[in-house]
Amino acid sequence: MLTIRNLECGYGRLPVLRGVSFDVGAESVGLFGPNGAGKTTLISALLGMVRPTAGTLELDGQNLAALSTYQIARAGIALVPQERELFPAMSVADNLELGAAYIPHARDMIDERRESVLGLFPILKERFRQLPGTMSGGQQRMVAIGRALMANPKLLILDEPSLGLQPSIVAEVFEKLAQLKTSMSILVTEQNVRESLKAIDRGYVLENGRVILEDTAEGLLHNPHVISSYLGI
Amino acid sequence: MAVKRSTILWAAVVAAAVVLILLWKPTVLVYGVQRAGLYAAVAIPMALVLGIVHIVNLAHGELMMVAAYLAYFVANRLLGLDPFVAMVPVALVMAAFGWLIYKATIKHALKAPELNQLILTFGLAIAFSQIANLAFTSQSFKLSLSYVSASATIGDVSFGVFDFVYVAVAVLLAVGLRLFLQRTRMGKAALAVGQNPRGAAIVGINVDRTYGIIFSIAVGLMGIVGSLFLTKQAIFPGVGGPYTMKSFCLVAMAGVGNIVGVLYCSLALGLSEAVINGIRGYAGWSNIVFFAIIIATILVRSYRERKR
Ligand SMILES: Nc1ncnc2c1ncn2[C@@H]1O[C@H](COP(=O)(O)OP(=O)(O)O)[C@@H](O)[C@H]1O
Ligand SMILES: [Mg+2]
Repeated sequence: MLTIRNLECGYGRLPVLRGVSFDVGAESVGLFGPNGAGKTTLISALLGMVRPTAGTLELDGQNLAALSTYQIARAGIALVPQERELFPAMSVADNLELGAAYIPHARDMIDERRESVLGLFPILKERFRQLPGTMSGGQQRMVAIGRALMANPKLLILDEPSLGLQPSIVAEVFEKLAQLKTSMSILVTEQNVRESLKAIDRGYVLENGRVILEDTAEGLLHNPHVISSYLGI
Repeated sequence: MAVKRSTILWAAVVAAAVVLILLWKPTVLVYGVQRAGLYAAVAIPMALVLGIVHIVNLAHGELMMVAAYLAYFVANRLLGLDPFVAMVPVALVMAAFGWLIYKATIKHALKAPELNQLILTFGLAIAFSQIANLAFTSQSFKLSLSYVSASATIGDVSFGVFDFVYVAVAVLLAVGLRLFLQRTRMGKAALAVGQNPRGAAIVGINVDRTYGIIFSIAVGLMGIVGSLFLTKQAIFPGVGGPYTMKSFCLVAMAGVGNIVGVLYCSLALGLSEAVINGIRGYAGWSNIVFFAIIIATILVRSYRERKR
């Protein structure tokens, strides 16, 4: 479904991604790496927010590098950004609705989508009329995930969803992702490998702009490099 | 919805001022409100652009000037249209012009630092007034329309009523834009873009097109405002400049994105200007008072925000 080949990307003359290749099929994939490895840059390239200098990006055979961010969103990729990027002066209800309103294949099923999002995150029902700024970081993260799910995406991308959340909420978020993976493809970047392994089938490790390792969740859990660098044993 | 105590306080202050003015010189109240209408009608499109596109358009008043010339020459001289009719084609032409300005210039400056945007629109302002100067010289043009001197008498007070048109237009603009932003698909997209362009793009909104449409709508509205301006005022190449400045001040005073706030601020400024003008021998002070009030408001606001 998502195919990335030899992707190179950077800011000005600073190279960040130095030839990254990977795939996401009908599955849940993790992308791990330390701070500054290029995870967010890779996602930005996928969403058309930074332009690759080399390589290819395809979703179901469609060349993403030729599209703008809004067209990529309409093609079926929904993003939960690291910084959430919610609409600060709009209620939770309006934030959710905007997730679907401009996506052709989701626009006509706003009510159903909202039902399922509120089913997944019941807390949002209580906060329905509140502004995001009045809610905790974890709840805001749920609004961002909910907004992405409203788009009924083929591929859901989450950029470091556990960032800044307390451990109990992190566990909850990955539990929800584990529930979601039957109905859509998921790509999640993380530094918190241990928690996210519960929600993924496969993972890649990105370091210094290159994929240095690729394995199943089970394989990663027993990999010496992953154990020493990410699982802190 | 709970009404804030400060709102009640402000309402009381304004009501008291209005009563005092009424007892003193009722016409001052009328002229103050009319002046407020003109200021608000000119400033509201600027507030729209600042709120959504996040650009301070220093060519704002000059666009009104261009619209007024367009209404004068093409619509009035050439086609013989009254400004009230002319404002329809003028608005359409101005909207197209706005789209062009966006695509050719503003769009490219949006990612640059804010200073570049200011210099760009400042440059546009100078270009517009210079071109008008070359094309029409610095001579002023004025229509003589009989209806602008319509007056009314209440008790033993009589006053001009035509300028209430500006009040009506200002209120219509504020209400209309609010409905547009809250009820329509395009308007909701614009609100989202105004609050977070990155967030808007990832939910499938074409941010660039939204900016273009909003800028074009604002310039189109200046077509309406410029045509109305022509009904009563003399126009010349530099006529727009002061309106850029006053609009900018009003918009800053109301706070970014607060279109209805522009109405209140215009009312406060219009009334205080009219009061100054009403005191014999002090008419020349009205501009000073205008800017003194703006400076005071902004200082008070920054002070309050610092305390938070
Ligand atoms: N907007 C930017 N401009 C310049 N450099 C950037 C920008 N964003 C990220 N970088 C640099 O690119 C590298 C990768 O960053 P990022 O993709 O955010 O990593 P990660 O998400 O894995 O922490 C870092 O060295 C970072 O400093
Ligand atoms: Mg990152």
